[in-house]
Amino acid sequence: MTALVTPAPHGRSGRRVLRARVEARAAKWGRRAGTVAVTALLLVPFLPILLWAFADRWPYPELAPTVWGVGGWLTATAQGAWPALTRSLLLGLTVSAIATPLGAMAGRALARGRVPYGKMVTALLLAPVAVPPFAVTMGLTTVALRLGVPGVVALVAVLVVAAVPYTTYIMRAAYAGYDEGFEETARTLGAGSRHVLLRVHLPLVAPALAAAAFLAFLVGWSDYVVTLLIGAGRIVSLPLLLGASASASGNDPTIAVLALLATIPPVLLLTAVTVLSRRRTQR
Amino acid sequence: MSATLTITGLTRWYPATGAPTLDAIDLTVPAGGCVALLGPSGSGKSTALRLVAGLDTPDSGTVLIDGRSLAGIPPELRHTVLVFQSPRLFPHLNVLDNVAFPLLVAGSPRGQARDDAAQFLDLVGLTSLAHRRPATLSGGQEQRVALARALAARPDVLLLDEPFSALDPTVRAEMHTLLVELRAAVEPTILLVTHDQNEAAVLADTTAVLLDGRIAQHDRIDQLYARPVSLAVHGFLGGRNAVAGRVDDGAHHSRLGTLELPADVVVPRGPATLVVRQEAIRLVPTDRRADLLGVVSAVTARGARALVEVTVAGMSLTTESGPGERFEPGDRVGVVLPLDQRHAVPPATSMRSGESGSSRDVLRRATT
Repeated sequence: MTALVTPAPHGRSGRRVLRARVEARAAKWGRRAGTVAVTALLLVPFLPILLWAFADRWPYPELAPTVWGVGGWLTATAQGAWPALTRSLLLGLTVSAIATPLGAMAGRALARGRVPYGKMVTALLLAPVAVPPFAVTMGLTTVALRLGVPGVVALVAVLVVAAVPYTTYIMRAAYAGYDEGFEETARTLGAGSRHVLLRVHLPLVAPALAAAAFLAFLVGWSDYVVTLLIGAGRIVSLPLLLGASASASGNDPTIAVLALLATIPPVLLLTAVTVLSRRRTQR
Repeated sequence: MSATLTITGLTRWYPATGAPTLDAIDLTVPAGGCVALLGPSGSGKSTALRLVAGLDTPDSGTVLIDGRSLAGIPPELRHTVLVFQSPRLFPHLNVLDNVAFPLLVAGSPRGQARDDAAQFLDLVGLTSLAHRRPATLSGGQEQRVALARALAARPDVLLLDEPFSALDPTVRAEMHTLLVELRAAVEPTILLVTHDQNEAAVLADTTAVLLDGRIAQHDRIDQLYARPVSLAVHGFLGGRNAVAGRVDDGAHHSRLGTLELPADVVVPRGPATLVVRQEAIRLVPTDRRADLLGVVSAVTARGARALVEVTVAGMSLTTESGPGERFEPGDRVGVVLPLDQRHAVPPATSMRSGESGSSRDVLRRATT
């Protein structure tokens, strides 16, 4: 057991110790205050949405809703919010499920210099990010129509094309720092290719894979333009519904509910990804 | 657990290089023995280990374990575990699960694999760290875990590729002690690659000197020092004295005069270079019996001992002074070359191109 009472600092050196201690404490509180401020800055815009989602009446200039209720939720449900949410979830997950492995394979090949003119290929890969999606999609819609590709397939295909640059970019960086010596070590320890993949390779790239999958999911989840053009309004995803009600009805509780629904899944996923990678780095 | 490793005619030629990286290597490691493959960087040492482990394919030659060829057998089925200089502990597994890894992939149930792994962890003295993440370990601890993990695979042959080179000298010495203990406890067959002569001396039964992709000499380390087969081996092992001359009637003739050679040194008549380790040469007062007389020309401190350069008959010989001996430049000294420490090797002109530069420098210094 250490001394119960910290000896009171005294003398000149004591004063210096005291000042250092005060400064350290101030710095700690400063950092905490900074964190709180940044978090608040990010969360404050959500406050009106959260309030609106449970407000049946909120006339100007009241500071809080005058009548609370779930009217917004009922309207949103009536407008098909839940099927739209399911559609968007499926779209995001499908795009992610296709674009992530594609990006992993492409990123691995690029990182190992197995691709001729690798730098040019990398630049080309990022091109769809730079070109406005509207321009790309208009052309692709025509192509899909001419070829008779079903709308949903064409939609997924185009969104995968939009997501692959992100997943490739992330996975290329991950594989650039990947030490193949781990796999060699595992093999000499008796691990066959399946064990190497499942027990060594995938766990080592898991944080990058999670990040890539999350971004690819967002591409499908949040897409508006491509779904609108290729789906020709028949594939109603959550962003489409949100866009339609925001531009038309002016029913604020409904819009708030839809916005909330559009926000929650990505936030949950991001939290999951962060927790996963934090567990990995916390050693 | 231990098996005999036999390598015959092992050759690896990378397309981009002008000479084979490994040129017809023959080497045998007896069951439970430890052979060090000692060579400068770029001599092909690591290539040899990769070929034995199956991580690379030889252009010709065979690797045999207990007489059974490993040709075409993938690394995971060879029972040859390779430990690299970087321990490469799996960062997503804790220490115990790292050691249990080879047992799990071999099909042990998790619980049993962990129990088993705990024993190997105990063997390297790290039971207390079983649940730590690799990133929290020191370099020495990491390499201990890597050794435990390698032994847990119960390899026929343990391949060590400069496993301790990245460690601090004190930690390295601890690891040497540990490896000696592990050898006594589980008697693995070990092929150790190193560029450190002391490491080879401490750990290995015999040492094979690998120069330019060929095994120049394979013998006990003391024999390598006292009876190198070539100037290249002598120079690589840090030998500083090489005197050009010729051999006739069991004696070496040079500007130093006629020096009798020990009976076990058999050198054909003709040009030959006399080599004597600097550690073997003794300096004595001029009134005592000596083989040569010389003058101290330079003294370089080297810790407990000092390197003393002595000019004899216009040539420079290097010796090491013992503890308590003091020499100053200008001192006249008697030089004793103990008979059993004298050795003669074929002269420098027969050296293959590209051989160790240091021996040539030594020769130049000794002959000018």
